[in-house]
Amino acid sequence: MTEPKKKRLTKVLDHLQHEDPFSKGVAFCPGCTLELLIRFIPQVLGNDLVITGTPSCSAPVLLGQNTATWHKLSYFGTLMTGAAANATGLVRYYNRKKIDNTVVCFNGDGTASDIGFGNLSGAAERNEKFIYICYDNEGYMNTGIQKSATTPFGASTTTTQVGSKLRGKNLRRTNLALQMAMHKIPYAATATLSDLDDLAKKLKKAKEMKNRGFCFLHVFAPCPTGWGLAPNMTIEACRRAVKTNYFPLWEAEDGQIAFTKTTKKPKPVSTYTELIKKFSHLTEKEQEILQSDIDYEYCLLQGLSNIVGTCQLPD
Amino acid sequence: MSLNKYFKTEGPWSDAKVELLCSDTGSWRSERPVVDEEKCILCGLCAIYCPIQIVKEQTDCFEADLTFCKGCGICAQECPAKAITMVSEGEFK
Amino acid sequence: MNSKTESNFKVMTGNAAAAIGATLSRPDVVAAYPITPQTEIIEQLSKFHANGELDAEMITVEGENSAMNAVMAASLAGGRVFTATSSWGLVFMYDAVLAAAGARAPVVMVNVNRETPGIIAVSSGQQDMISTRDSGWIFLIAENCQEIIDTVITAYRLAEDYDIQVPVMVHYDGFYLSYLSEVVDVPTQENVDKFLSVLNDQPARTILTPGEQTGCGSHGILDGYVELRYKHCMAMERAKDKIDQIDKEFSNIFERSYGGQVEGYRLDDADVVLVGSGSMCGTIKTVIDDRRKKGLKVGLLKIRMYRPFPSEKLIKHLKGKKAIGVVDRSLAFGFKGGPMYTELKAFSEELEGSELISFIDGIANTDITKKNINKMIDMTCDLAEGKDVPEVTWVSYGPQQGGE
Repeated sequence: MTEPKKKRLTKVLDHLQHEDPFSKGVAFCPGCTLELLIRFIPQVLGNDLVITGTPSCSAPVLLGQNTATWHKLSYFGTLMTGAAANATGLVRYYNRKKIDNTVVCFNGDGTASDIGFGNLSGAAERNEKFIYICYDNEGYMNTGIQKSATTPFGASTTTTQVGSKLRGKNLRRTNLALQMAMHKIPYAATATLSDLDDLAKKLKKAKEMKNRGFCFLHVFAPCPTGWGLAPNMTIEACRRAVKTNYFPLWEAEDGQIAFTKTTKKPKPVSTYTELIKKFSHLTEKEQEILQSDIDYEYCLLQGLSNIVGTCQLPD
Repeated sequence: MSLNKYFKTEGPWSDAKVELLCSDTGSWRSERPVVDEEKCILCGLCAIYCPIQIVKEQTDCFEADLTFCKGCGICAQECPAKAITMVSEGEFK
Repeated sequence: MNSKTESNFKVMTGNAAAAIGATLSRPDVVAAYPITPQTEIIEQLSKFHANGELDAEMITVEGENSAMNAVMAASLAGGRVFTATSSWGLVFMYDAVLAAAGARAPVVMVNVNRETPGIIAVSSGQQDMISTRDSGWIFLIAENCQEIIDTVITAYRLAEDYDIQVPVMVHYDGFYLSYLSEVVDVPTQENVDKFLSVLNDQPARTILTPGEQTGCGSHGILDGYVELRYKHCMAMERAKDKIDQIDKEFSNIFERSYGGQVEGYRLDDADVVLVGSGSMCGTIKTVIDDRRKKGLKVGLLKIRMYRPFPSEKLIKHLKGKKAIGVVDRSLAFGFKGGPMYTELKAFSEELEGSELISFIDGIANTDITKKNINKMIDMTCDLAEGKDVPEVTWVSYGPQQGGE
């Protein structure tokens, strides 16, 4: 009789303390990182969340059909323009009535960086006590892969196509997480699906710190269908994004920026873009432009992480 | 015409206690993960990375409940011991 | 009067009246964003909040769109809410206005009527209300400062009624009522509480609570979707009788009545009638008194509830009148006549021979003066006598449009 195998269980499993409230058969693409994220969050934070959702890739699953639904969470489905304002209304009422709550405003990058940015900024300025999670798949995926503010330089989308005159998006992306960190909120962080221990810790921190004010989480979530990425490579794409500093992992607690993962020798961005068809047309020159944009954002973060200071007010 | 045939409420409210939906996503896949029990080192990475969260610990290895598996192949890709192979559905008919 | 011994007369502007009406109704969540001519409302509310007179969550939002989104969500979570806006603010929040109506959130909002023209102008007119008349909200229009405070309180009783659950917008003319000071008998907190306490005895509506596994904003699928739209329409229809019933409840406690859906002034024996809404009615009533003294049988039908459209009441009161002049403080683009005229004209057959003409006045910063109203009455009389009268008259404009 052979000895039982020695278990080398990943410590991520320890974070998954709660049941997955989502039905197992839901309409996300095979390999979708958003599906992993949306199941991960309530397993870490609990099933008594109130989650707000907007028209997006998450909508067909987050929102019900007539009286039936795909999950057991309390939710509020509404328009992209007012997502953060909706969450504001909920959390203000619950806190006034001393109803225990964790409100999660769950949106894609289209809502967060484009059409819903105004009220995201407003909610952060007012330091509203909820968690805003932006899953960044770099475009409007549900409507068929259109460009958004977080779409990177050079990317091919249906509104930034590659043709004889133009070659994909000729504008650089905005750095949403850094913009939110500048709002003097208690907590802002980046995370992704390859580093789940890091993501779980950040989710738990956000849940705790939202009692003091606004918490923002920017989660990098590659889209296999929209990017031309093989479904089995989506986690690897996250990993390479971190290793190339394309998407560095950091957090800002009370304005103090610190990396949660440092890469001593970052690989060139091309080791990331080679996985993804939306970059396949890039010339060497165009890769260089993308590389310089990534390098700029990283050195900005690095500089800020060297500054010691807190935006937390004295009692 | 009965006004409350679908909704008992005036507004668009759903209730998971009344009906929880489920699609037959298992029928989507064109290949399925097959685990080599001996090679599995019981790390659980397949379980944490599976987007549907259907990989669970069994006696000697981790295995997916194939009812809803979409055949994405992430478990096979992420396995550090290369214990999982994606095999065409055609082999199982 | 609250009662002969409880009168509480104060001099205040229309905006202050709206703010006090909201405060007395004890809202849980208030969203505030300034826009002329509403700004004083939120300033007053902020003052009450700072003094502890208003016990509510004040959210100083960064735009009107967020104002409506925040109060809609708070309402669906179970709270009583309030916000106020005008013209461009109303249309900026319009997506959330439609969402609130569709979600059947019992929101109460004050809209201070102001024009929405392409040119830059800050002026009176009801165009903002007309631009949003198909939103699925209940619209109530106030004539004077007393009616403003009373209508805001009534709005809560109506919106939150279990049979209704439709958001209510209270409209009143910007500049003419917003900044005008009048004597107002301020209802006591005790009486307002008593008036609204009826709602506590009704069944509880569905609300969004953590851990209950319910959600709002479900996709309507096939027949379920149609069912929700139908329910919304039926609720709007029920609001007609409901406002009449609520008006009686109101007058029992506060000893003031506004007639429910419509109010007639010297109407029963009138041969010639003007139909109007809002502050113009005050002026029209004064002119009617003058003309009556000179022997003319003229009356006013004031539209108080504009949505749902009080067609049954209008037909009942106007049937058989010799001639009717409908005064619109707005335009119905694509139609020659004004909006209320066009809507009433759809019921011409039921009016059994009463002739209708349209007067457009009080838009684009023009006043509806006593002279203008006399002219309107004269023209309506001409119509009654069978004379040739243009169908549409822009009373304050050039001679081709009937002005001078």
